[in-house]
Amino acid sequence: MDTQLRTFEVFHQSKRGEPHVHVGAVHAPDAELALMLARDQFARRLDCTSLWVVPSDQITATTPAQAEAWFEPATDKSYREAAGFPMRDIIKKAENWSK
Amino acid sequence: MNNTQNVALIARLFSLADDEFLLGHRDSEWTGHAPLLEEDIAFSNIAQDEMGHALMWYTILHERFDQPAPDRLAFWRAADQFHNATLVELPRGDWAFTIVRQFLFDAYEQARNDWLRRCGYAPIEDAARKLAREEIYHLMHSQGWVLRLGDATEESHRRMQAALDLAWPHALGLFEPPAGDEAFGAKLPEIQAAWRAAVEPRLVQATLTIPGAATAIGGGRLGAHTPHLAELLTDLQKVARLEAPEAVW
Repeated sequence: MDTQLRTFEVFHQSKRGEPHVHVGAVHAPDAELALMLARDQFARRLDCTSLWVVPSDQITATTPAQAEAWFEPATDKSYREAAGFPMRDIIKKAENWSK
Repeated sequence: MNNTQNVALIARLFSLADDEFLLGHRDSEWTGHAPLLEEDIAFSNIAQDEMGHALMWYTILHERFDQPAPDRLAFWRAADQFHNATLVELPRGDWAFTIVRQFLFDAYEQARNDWLRRCGYAPIEDAARKLAREEIYHLMHSQGWVLRLGDATEESHRRMQAALDLAWPHALGLFEPPAGDEAFGAKLPEIQAAWRAAVEPRLVQATLTIPGAATAIGGGRLGAHTPHLAELLTDLQKVARLEAPEAVW
């Protein structure tokens, strides 16, 4: 028998206005207790303004097998990236020079 | 402050400090053994909180009433010099007993602190205000488990009811007045009524039966304890007593 109950993913906000960031998961019988336990695992030593918990099975995720088709471009598309602008190299050079 | 007031406040502070100290120790016995990893961390945290609260009360005794330093009070007193209610000295038992005891105690603290915050002695009022925040969380935590374990499975219900039957008479002993503290003593019936009003609906909601006919097991506030306290102290004080009392850690 599984004695470890369900899992809930924990999202932590360190400052008002900041995004909630995924920090880990907790075992708990339900959301209310998950929130309480999340407080002890993740909010006791970190600055915290807000916590979310979400049942792990409520998250729909890509699988590792999908990663290639979904995330790796077949051809070079770096020209589409903002980071591709020539200004980046100029700024980098200036930064390195000042070091 | 006259001498009668002094005696009363010292008795009050020892009852507050010793309850928290011994419950903190019993709670710490779960570190590494709690039923869930998350709960292990949460409960160890609560144990440390209780120890921290005990330290606050012992510090007031030391600094304002010329009592020995907190470490001396913790490690160099015998069982009959402790003024805790017997509830907190009982062995940790199973998880059901731990949760039921914690719940009954957390609710007592909340009801009691409502009065301590305006009891007329500023250092106690200040400390009670400072502790309030942690106490709210403690009660939420223990109440959360009481409500879930009360009717989760046949086994959890059976264990919770057995725990309540064992803890209840000792919990009533929390309301035994400390010797010489008439102001606190006069308030305790009112505090007990507030406590009952807080815990009874929750226990009923958790499908548990309150042992209505039980009578209070007292004596703890006056230094009369179960044999469990002496056993606990032997364990707790063992390391400190390897050294001379003056040793600094």
